[in-house]
Amino acid sequence: MKALILKDFYVIWKQMRTFIVVILLLAMMNSAYYMVFLVVWCSMLPYTAMAYDERSHWNQLAAMMPYSKRDIVLSKYVLGWLCMTAAGLLCLVIQAAMGCFFENVVSVSVLLTSLCVGVISLDIALPAVLRFGVERGRMIFMVMIFGVAIGTGIVLDMSDTLPSISLPVMALLPLAAVIATAVSLPLSMKLYEVN
Amino acid sequence: MNAIELNHICKTLGEFAIQDLTLAVPSGTICGLVGENGAGKSTTIRLLMNALRPDSGSARVLGTDVTAPEFRKVKEDVGVVLDEAYYPETLTAAQVGKVMAATYRRWDQGAYEDYLRRFDLPGKKPFRDFSRGMKMKLAIAVALSHQPKLLILDEATSGLDPIVRDEVLEIFNEFTREEDHSILISSHILSDLEKLCDYIAFLHQGRLLFCDEKDRLLESYGVFAGTAEQLESLREEAVVGREASGFGGVRALVRREEVPAGLELDRATVEDIILFMVKGAKQ
Repeated sequence: MKALILKDFYVIWKQMRTFIVVILLLAMMNSAYYMVFLVVWCSMLPYTAMAYDERSHWNQLAAMMPYSKRDIVLSKYVLGWLCMTAAGLLCLVIQAAMGCFFENVVSVSVLLTSLCVGVISLDIALPAVLRFGVERGRMIFMVMIFGVAIGTGIVLDMSDTLPSISLPVMALLPLAAVIATAVSLPLSMKLYEVN
Repeated sequence: MNAIELNHICKTLGEFAIQDLTLAVPSGTICGLVGENGAGKSTTIRLLMNALRPDSGSARVLGTDVTAPEFRKVKEDVGVVLDEAYYPETLTAAQVGKVMAATYRRWDQGAYEDYLRRFDLPGKKPFRDFSRGMKMKLAIAVALSHQPKLLILDEATSGLDPIVRDEVLEIFNEFTREEDHSILISSHILSDLEKLCDYIAFLHQGRLLFCDEKDRLLESYGVFAGTAEQLESLREEAVVGREASGFGGVRALVRREEVPAGLELDRATVEDIILFMVKGAKQ
């Protein structure tokens, strides 16, 4: 699986540089909303790698190599998790640094919330992308990212800042992310085999 | 031991079907898989590598059933070159080397770099800027650099210029000097197969018409050139396929054992045998 993640990393490296610049700029806005948005946005990177795979018919070659189908599918999830974690941590570090100058700094709990939302987005979109291909799957993703963006905006409008969301909701999000992953992974493997 | 065994494989894909395919490639030999476009060569290779499940029948590669969980380890011993290289276009040859080093346990980086130099492939140029020949050379370099025991090559020499093609064929020949090394190669360039192979297998519309030792095949057939009347005088079973050769003449592929001993025949090439067989099937 390390080989597959390495391959995807090389493939998306150019896009990652653009993502890093955008993260640096938006993270300076010092807002929980942007952190959620950036983390979910970074969960898109596996689809970029999959688009390159599709264009080059990489999967035909991968089927000849000693990769299991499980590794091929799981590597996309791991890539998404790594990208989201890196984006979240980068945001947190920048915003912590900004905290020296401003008040109302986003917290680790916002990072965790962002990651949970990102993981759930990935869990919903990846099976669709694996089944319908990147083009059609991306449409599903776009609908979702707008939903997340609008939803987060509404929630934040109501509660001013994310940390003030009641504790049970904060505890339920990681649980929801774990359950979504537990359902999504086997589903993705099934759909990958069907293709 | 057989490097490859296909036993009564059937697979239907839409209107196309592989029908009762049984084929064995003995270890230490080179088998050429011949057939028109759409004859089922690539499908056969996908079935062999368990990239496609057969409707019925079984396949073994290097002694292991391809549906067994252990087959994933056996894939380490199989170098595959498909009809296209299929690497993501942004990768460079150097990056492909690093990915493959993490893929194959017996990856030989030194050998890979030697092949890159030998094939004149740049390490840092993105794959999308490679010509078709360069892409195929990269795929061949990868297939040879993880110490495989079996090479499965699907149109691997197409797109290569004659000089490089000759060099690549020589590399394949060198590869089979090891006793337990084998090759299954499909190609439209029949002269390459004639030069390289010990066995020739001919697929036609999803059926295996024959799989035989090349030398025996070449000894069994001859090319008759004469008049239509002369040809008509031969036994019907002797003539495999025929074609008009201009000025009322005919050329035909005949079975040597079915024609009179004194009849003058030209030597048949693998290309003659295949072409006349296809024509015979159509007639």
